[in-house]
Amino acid sequence: MTLLKLPSATAASRPALRPRARGRRGRAGRKPRVLVAVTALFFALLYLPIAVVTLFSFNSKKSPTVFGGFSLRWYRAFVHDDVLISSLGTSLRISLVAMAGSVVLGVALALGLVRCRTRLGPLAGLIMLVPLITPEIVTGVASMLLFKGLGVDLSTGTVMLAEITFSISYVTVILRSRVAALNPEVEEAAMDLGATRWQAVRLVTLPALLPAVLASAVLIFALVFDDFVLAYFTTGVDPQPLSVRIYSAIRFGVQPTINAVGTLMLVGSVCLIALALFIPRLFGRRGGLDILSGE
Amino acid sequence: MALLRPSSRTRRRGADGDRIWTWLMLPGTLWMTGFLIASLALVAVLAVGTTDDLGNPRFGFDLSGVRALADPAYTEVLARSLGYALLTCAICLLIAYPVAYTIALHGGRYKHALIAAIVVPFFANYLVRMYGWSVVLSDDGPVLRALRAVGLADANTKILNTGVGVVAGLVYGFVVFMIIPLYAALERLDVSLIEAGRDLYGGPVRTFFFVTLPATRQGAAAGLVLVFLPSMGDFVSAQLMGGPDQIMIGNLIQDKFFQGQNWPLGSALTMLLMLVLLVGMLGYLRRTRKDEAEARR
Repeated sequence: MTLLKLPSATAASRPALRPRARGRRGRAGRKPRVLVAVTALFFALLYLPIAVVTLFSFNSKKSPTVFGGFSLRWYRAFVHDDVLISSLGTSLRISLVAMAGSVVLGVALALGLVRCRTRLGPLAGLIMLVPLITPEIVTGVASMLLFKGLGVDLSTGTVMLAEITFSISYVTVILRSRVAALNPEVEEAAMDLGATRWQAVRLVTLPALLPAVLASAVLIFALVFDDFVLAYFTTGVDPQPLSVRIYSAIRFGVQPTINAVGTLMLVGSVCLIALALFIPRLFGRRGGLDILSGE
Repeated sequence: MALLRPSSRTRRRGADGDRIWTWLMLPGTLWMTGFLIASLALVAVLAVGTTDDLGNPRFGFDLSGVRALADPAYTEVLARSLGYALLTCAICLLIAYPVAYTIALHGGRYKHALIAAIVVPFFANYLVRMYGWSVVLSDDGPVLRALRAVGLADANTKILNTGVGVVAGLVYGFVVFMIIPLYAALERLDVSLIEAGRDLYGGPVRTFFFVTLPATRQGAAAGLVLVFLPSMGDFVSAQLMGGPDQIMIGNLIQDKFFQGQNWPLGSALTMLLMLVLLVGMLGYLRRTRKDEAEARR
């Protein structure tokens, strides 16, 4: 995303550009009814599909558009559906492994990218950006071909490898600005007190990065759990990830159980995102959306 | 101890100082090179290769995959994909501007909450959101019922299984990519510029086109790229919201790899998609570089 030069630029440049007059209601502060109405309509349409999925997950009928009364039958159907439950387990395993792998590799990469002064730095930075500007279908096809070309059978393991590859970039983007904001003199001070370079990184730098590391870990877990395209191209026949199952289900018509699964996934994602936003605050830092945008 | 040998420490720090950062950078970079750069290169190689009877890739130099791209059936799909993706970009811009503007300039203390309310559903499962959207737009779904009630649609009007449905799906899927950079640009916008525009007797419309729009051009450009990339590669929207005659290049690629088992052709199509996106990216980079050069002057 850095390549795209989002105009949010740096946090430091913001306060200067925001004049105090903003708080007062100047001429630009009159509430234009049309704009507010358009925005309200946008929010209604944004949440309507989510509301529909949630509502019809409690439908006692099978219809996707007629609500017959409250019932938990589709949740019960999900719990007793062995295929879906084993897919849920597969998705959880993939997310955990991808989270661990990409956080370790991504944090190290972010540290190296910011501090390294050799010629390898810019090249590594460029490679890291590739997944962010490549559509998922291309990376999905490419991963599948790589595994097939190497003679590896597609399985849960290949999904894990592919997901790690594409999550590294997210971790690195999120952490890069945090590393850049750290004062390297603190590390120097630690070394003046007798720490080795490695000890300084381990005992001083990493703890300072901990909130951002945890937030990115939670975010990666949510993203990988919900990911469909990559999983679709790299999964084998063993219990497929949940999103791949959902895809085959909705392709062949209405499946009310999917409403229940979808609602549970929505609740799960929202909780994880809220957690990711909240983590920096736990550590007494201004948290929030900047975690999501990597700024 | 450290104080007793400061010179040796400084020297050592300089020497292994850079080495440790290189070592930290190496595993991630090697991983990405091995799994990503190599695999993308493989797609390029297979685009001019063949497969054996079992469907395994075989390398060689065979242009049949690339030549097949000239087939009108494929150029039509490519043209449709480009059209849908560009239309999606335009509609996203039209929707995102008022929404981002309202939140950034009139959101007050609810600004952050409103932006979070836009971002959070985006992180929910893409398929589930798309499925919900297809139910909403279905023939007896709430949108068409409302349109019929106010007389804007009759009993035969359909959204699903038409091109309108596909574009509606793409817009719903990716509009957030337009709102975020635009919001960031509008947030940063100096309101006194708008006030100056009004002071000079520019009406709201003129002020918008001569002040606000040029000042937030970069945010819009970033949003356009961010929407164009995934729209061009998407295959879920065309599948759920369009019919068999609405397929996009993503559906073709998917088909060649899963049903058709024609990997060289699939790879050639993937390279074609990358080429189109690369042209778009280069256009964007040239534009922003020109903007920056002007800003420096």
